[in-house]
Amino acid sequence: MTITYVLMQNLKRNPLRTMLTAAAFALPMAVFVAAISLVVVLMKVAAHNEQELRLGVRQKTSLTNLLPEGMRRKIEALDPDRKQLRAVCGMRWFGGRVPDTKNTLTSLAVDADTFPVVYDDVGMAPEDTAKWMADRTACVAGSGVAEQYHWKVGGNIELESTVPPYLTLRFKIVKIMTSADRGNVFYFRRDYLEESYQAMGFASSRVHIFWIKCSTAEGLRALQAQIDQTFANSPEETKSEDENAFAANFTQAGGDIPGLMQAMAIVVVCIVGLVAGNTMMMSFRERIRELAVFKAIGFQSGRIFTIVLAESAMLSLIGSLAGVLPTAALLTLVPIRGLRMGPISSVEVSPVAVVVSIGIALIVGLAAGLLPAYQAMRLRSVDALRRIA
Amino acid sequence: MALPISYHWRNLFVRKTTTLLTVLVIAAVVGVFAWMLGFAASLDRSLSQARDETKLLVLKRGATAETNSALPVDEYNNLNQLDDIARDPTTNEPLLSPEMMVQISRPRVRDGGKTWGNIALRGVTEAAFKVHRTVQPTGRVFSAGAQEVIVGVAAAQQFSGLNIGDTLELGYGNNRHYTVVGYFTADKGPAESEVWGYLPSLMNAYNRTMYSSASLRLKGGADPKKVIELIEGPKIQLSAQTEAQYWQTQSASINTYLRITKVLVAVMCLAAIFSIANTMFSMVAGRTREIAMLRTIGFSRGQILSGFVLESVFLSILGGLLGCVGCIAWLYVMGNTKDMFGSSTFTTLAFEIHLTPTNLTCALGSVIVVGVIGAWIPAMRASRVAVVTALREP
Repeated sequence: MTITYVLMQNLKRNPLRTMLTAAAFALPMAVFVAAISLVVVLMKVAAHNEQELRLGVRQKTSLTNLLPEGMRRKIEALDPDRKQLRAVCGMRWFGGRVPDTKNTLTSLAVDADTFPVVYDDVGMAPEDTAKWMADRTACVAGSGVAEQYHWKVGGNIELESTVPPYLTLRFKIVKIMTSADRGNVFYFRRDYLEESYQAMGFASSRVHIFWIKCSTAEGLRALQAQIDQTFANSPEETKSEDENAFAANFTQAGGDIPGLMQAMAIVVVCIVGLVAGNTMMMSFRERIRELAVFKAIGFQSGRIFTIVLAESAMLSLIGSLAGVLPTAALLTLVPIRGLRMGPISSVEVSPVAVVVSIGIALIVGLAAGLLPAYQAMRLRSVDALRRIA
Repeated sequence: MALPISYHWRNLFVRKTTTLLTVLVIAAVVGVFAWMLGFAASLDRSLSQARDETKLLVLKRGATAETNSALPVDEYNNLNQLDDIARDPTTNEPLLSPEMMVQISRPRVRDGGKTWGNIALRGVTEAAFKVHRTVQPTGRVFSAGAQEVIVGVAAAQQFSGLNIGDTLELGYGNNRHYTVVGYFTADKGPAESEVWGYLPSLMNAYNRTMYSSASLRLKGGADPKKVIELIEGPKIQLSAQTEAQYWQTQSASINTYLRITKVLVAVMCLAAIFSIANTMFSMVAGRTREIAMLRTIGFSRGQILSGFVLESVFLSILGGLLGCVGCIAWLYVMGNTKDMFGSSTFTTLAFEIHLTPTNLTCALGSVIVVGVIGAWIPAMRASRVAVVTALREP
């Protein structure tokens, strides 16, 4: 008689309880895997951003106070040999809205020459860059919006700005970006914007933020201090932040969804632990006599311990699979789009999240089974056999 | 005769561990549920102050928020020709307020200044205090001649450097020093997250020749729709909306957040139902003989059924109370301040999460429903125990 056999018989004995426990386990685990997936995506984005070594320089009082575009030369002059600083890209918020919708994209006018270097993670192939440089109306759009409005590479599209002077511009798409955190992002050339502004007599030549691509992390920190120091006490006092620090300001203002998800995940782990523990206590109590019989006919204490513990682990495994797999499948087939949560525009379940979820469920199941298993091990068969259940 | 309540109550303590574990599961779910209700209610409390149907917000055409609207003064002056604007009873001036809005970044108090939030800085004239009736300065107001501002109480609380006596560096060149001279309340509305200063002074500081927006109060009985049509019509050519419409658009992203939370809470409530059902099934199974005996001495099926449901309700109430207390403690220890962006303002709406008696009642009420649902099938089974067979069992 193998342990597996005993295990399956025990689970089958009270199918109702097994099912209820599995369901009470599965539902929170479904929440858990969704929450963890989001956290994993955010962590990936953060890790990626950190690798990209981009430093954002903006005006100190407010991101909406513009900086003169000439500041780029001043920043570049801080590192004339290009030891730490690879390129500087000025960026201006356009607030472009797809005509006749309420969807305002994260649309940014960028310095055409340095964009491919500073944003090399956009993955522009040499021919894309060639097209980008050749056409003033070139733009790069995120896959989320591109799918939503059926935009194709080579197509022409229009966006109307929601900031003064409320321009409507026409663009030609040269590339669609696929990364998860740029689903709702739209980049185009700043010289095109400036030219259009000048045509309507709107003086500008200013940017909201400069993104600086650095060579090393130490270089980024050094530049950060150096830049803020250089412009201190000038009309253009600056505040420099790396990309993650910059994004954190917005995450908080979005209601801190990552924080919410983490809190949810903790609550869920507590719930499934309690559920598993409860079930194991109940089934242990009902089976005290049976376990005593096992002992009486010569099962060793260690074996009894394993049987109870394995049952708890098995139960949590079934429960977590029932919760995690359908959720994972659902979220993969029907990714949630259009979420406005900081940089994330879509959530897809990563294998990491699935493995972590099932792993945690197993640990919780084992932990919940510990006490009953210990009690079973220490069971005095004579007393237990005498007891009337 | 009914079964005494103490019989059911004491039954919960026969199996202490199971009862405790079930109560804790319920408590965890109720805690999250109560937090969500409190969050929604506090947000709603704030936004409900901005649902004034007699107040119109006028923006430049194409703008989506006050922060990205630029309203030229001559276009603003066209608004004076509207007949339906309410007038000040003493001066007979129209209740029309030109306003400018820019954003300022301040460090958040709750994370020790690690992240910064965008706060709306609104330039106003005397008219603003008559149009935005909820705004009540609690002390001094900025004077027209000096570089002074007043701060909404929510902003002062949640962001650092906004207390009376603090100096703010404002202006396009970041070189104008404004002093905070007073606070104001706005009945917990969105304005409490703003900083207000004197319009001409701020326009000068920010090199502006245009306003951002205008707010106006309608005459009693005026139809907002007609006035909006006039404003958007060929004579004025601006865009207008009631304050209620404006905040409805702004809260779209917040609603997404609420929807996500609701789904999560609903899933967890279901889990609680299964967990209660599990416990109750076990209770019924363990007491089959006892139930059979009760039936023999004359208790009816209905009494057995309601008895088990009652036990489950006890469990739920215990869990519910524990959950509510846990949630209150969590808010107390971890902080209850929160701030969120409007969909297109990019300025923050700061508020505090408070659990109202209604929230707590609602959370407890829901958990009782959960308890009844979870216990129903086990209780049905209990009421149908085959008496003779059960008594014969060992």
